[in-house]
Amino acid sequence: MSATAAKPDDLLKELSVHWRELGSGDAADGLLRACSMTLTCFADDEEDAQSLGGVLASLMREHPSRLVVVRLKDGEDELTARVSAQCWKPFGHGQQICCEQVEVTASMDRLADVVSIVAPLAAPDLPRVVLLRSARVVRAGALRKILRLGDKIIVDSSRVGAPGFGELGGLLDAGHTTGDLAWTRLTPIRALLAQLLENRNPKAIVIEYPVEHARHEVSPEARYLQAWLQTALRDCAISLRSGMREDCSGIAVVRVDQDLVVRVCKGGAEYETGSMTQRASMPDATEEQLLSEELGIVVHDRVFECALNHITA
Amino acid sequence: MPALYRLAYEGRLAPGFAVIGISRTAMSDDEFRNRMHDSVAKFLEDSPFDEDLWRSFAQGLTYLAGDVGDAASYQKVSAALEKIAQERKTDGNVLFYLSTQPSQYAEIAEGLGKAGLAKGTGWRRIIIEKPFGHDLVSAQELDRRIVAHFEEEQIYRIDHYLGKETVQNIMAFRFGNGIFEPLWNRRYIDHVQITAAESIGVEGRGAYYQEAGALRDMIQNHLLQVMATIAMEPSATFSSDSVRDERSKLLRSVHTMKPEEVAENAVAGQYGPGRVGGQAVVGFRQEQGVNPESMTNTYAAATFLVDNWRWAGVPFYIRTGKYLPKRVSEIAIHFKSAPLAVFGQANEGEPMAPNLLILRIQPEEGISLKFVSKRPGAGMTLRPVSMDFNYGASFGERSPSAYETLLLDAIVGDATLYTRQDMVEASWRAVQPILDAWSAQKFPFSNYAAGTWGPEAADVMLARRGHVWRTP
Repeated sequence: MSATAAKPDDLLKELSVHWRELGSGDAADGLLRACSMTLTCFADDEEDAQSLGGVLASLMREHPSRLVVVRLKDGEDELTARVSAQCWKPFGHGQQICCEQVEVTASMDRLADVVSIVAPLAAPDLPRVVLLRSARVVRAGALRKILRLGDKIIVDSSRVGAPGFGELGGLLDAGHTTGDLAWTRLTPIRALLAQLLENRNPKAIVIEYPVEHARHEVSPEARYLQAWLQTALRDCAISLRSGMREDCSGIAVVRVDQDLVVRVCKGGAEYETGSMTQRASMPDATEEQLLSEELGIVVHDRVFECALNHITA
Repeated sequence: MPALYRLAYEGRLAPGFAVIGISRTAMSDDEFRNRMHDSVAKFLEDSPFDEDLWRSFAQGLTYLAGDVGDAASYQKVSAALEKIAQERKTDGNVLFYLSTQPSQYAEIAEGLGKAGLAKGTGWRRIIIEKPFGHDLVSAQELDRRIVAHFEEEQIYRIDHYLGKETVQNIMAFRFGNGIFEPLWNRRYIDHVQITAAESIGVEGRGAYYQEAGALRDMIQNHLLQVMATIAMEPSATFSSDSVRDERSKLLRSVHTMKPEEVAENAVAGQYGPGRVGGQAVVGFRQEQGVNPESMTNTYAAATFLVDNWRWAGVPFYIRTGKYLPKRVSEIAIHFKSAPLAVFGQANEGEPMAPNLLILRIQPEEGISLKFVSKRPGAGMTLRPVSMDFNYGASFGERSPSAYETLLLDAIVGDATLYTRQDMVEASWRAVQPILDAWSAQKFPFSNYAAGTWGPEAADVMLARRGHVWRTP
């Protein structure tokens, strides 16, 4: 469909017409309009549309949504929208599953209008999630403007231009449900550490983060891991330092006292205790997998919030 | 006229069907036909315009210039009707449709009556459109003057909301299925929300609108009728009087607010400047033709209670407004939550999402049922899901417009979807205490920005009973 000036009523009508047209084709008997939530993604115009589209498209299989993609750009007074649908046929099934998408392109000076247009597009009574990938929104200090579009907002602190812990903590304090893919990335290492530390009472833990982060600051994953461990092990000294490994994302090594070392590497982790070395498989999660995990939690994640509060305290 | 043309297109009109257009403007029959041609071609929705059919349909269109206050006009109408009866074999059946200022209804009915046009060889019916008066007293006065010439059975008070497919479907849904009616009471239903939101402002009708306001324009008629359809008892038959008796009974059961109850159970709003759909819009008081200190409500919300065994204690929240974020009309039935939260709570301190039944009137007429379902995977995580029925998608055929339905009903003499005087008076009685209280009050307008869901006071009104407005 061609891009049009964006008015919520018109866009919803276009969607309706679009579905009627899809339903009147040969595939009419085998077409399911699926929607389990409204997912609104804010991205900057420079971001590779194909790559972003690929991530969101594969996400739709597990979380079929009314997808609203807002692409923000510099310049002035631009605001257009187009509607479309993506369909796929699960292997071995006759029925096509289809999700609807509204793509909004807007200049930053129209951000307030974007919000007034996107808000009415939400599918009623279903969760509304905002995925923030736009550094422009953060730079403009406009994070709070887009909050009313979602029951939950997901960011990735490890992305350049992402909101800082202070801003995320502010959202928590205001009662908003938030998610951070930098935290989600820790799920397998947290699971492994929880097993390894179950019967221990460690005195000191050192978390090494990769050197690539050392040039700038501590990796957000390391901060989260430190906070998570600290909230669970109140008497343990947990420190951070830069490591030398570059083949891992966010966490390089975790040293527990003198006798347990966990080295994170591509696809897994090695842990040494005494003279014994073992390997745990931890496949690197793709962005779609991380998002899928976060979209599965549309209520407050108390463990995450506890860790974030610890960082911002 | 587009509705009549569409009925002709569907072959629902008798071959001799004829229309006499009457207004003060001097015009020939052909000029009238040309104007109607352009109007029908422009406003015909979801239908092709067939020039051949139009030529045939237009043969039945004639025009008379006349003034409603001039007795001679009615004599001209009488002569024209006699001529048409002979030429087109209409058997003297006549339907008068008053598409005029409401202030002229009584005068026209009297003119028709005095000219002997209220009775004839065939049936005679008269259609008037809301508003039926501007308060209880004026509604009674209007009726008194009309019934002096027309019997109640001849009077068709049109409320186009009742002609909408989904509103009619409420009855099919409730009384054609066995599973819902047992739940349709105070034991299982927590509250009901009826929303009629418009995303446009007064669109140049500011001068008219400031005399009416949202409460009179929408709630007193359309939305209370919808509420009556939702809440009425099953009728013994589907006859016109039987259904209307039940609607009327329900409206008479609506609790009449005491003056001191109005403040907590009704909220007036007026939009200020804002942004709607990416456009900057002016506030109501800045609209053309509107008093800059106008106290007109462009938003109204009210809590109605029904004093009967089925609904005692169940609030019916009704809201309507101009320049709300989207155009939507729907009824949300909020069921009570499960008595025991065996799966815990969605969030600490927050109850599990209750079941919701949504009856969408416009756009995308349909029905949705919301319930929670287990999210696939380990653990017992529940998520709200929605099961939807969409009229257009399920039947794949065009729904007639409300006016098509109602005009055809009037032609065949079925008044089921028309409002009876006792219903009109009962709904005025329900809103009269609010009108009285508001007329004596100065509001701090504007109190909501265009493009938002109305004044904060409306949220507070629901919060008093622990409820929140649903976002449609």
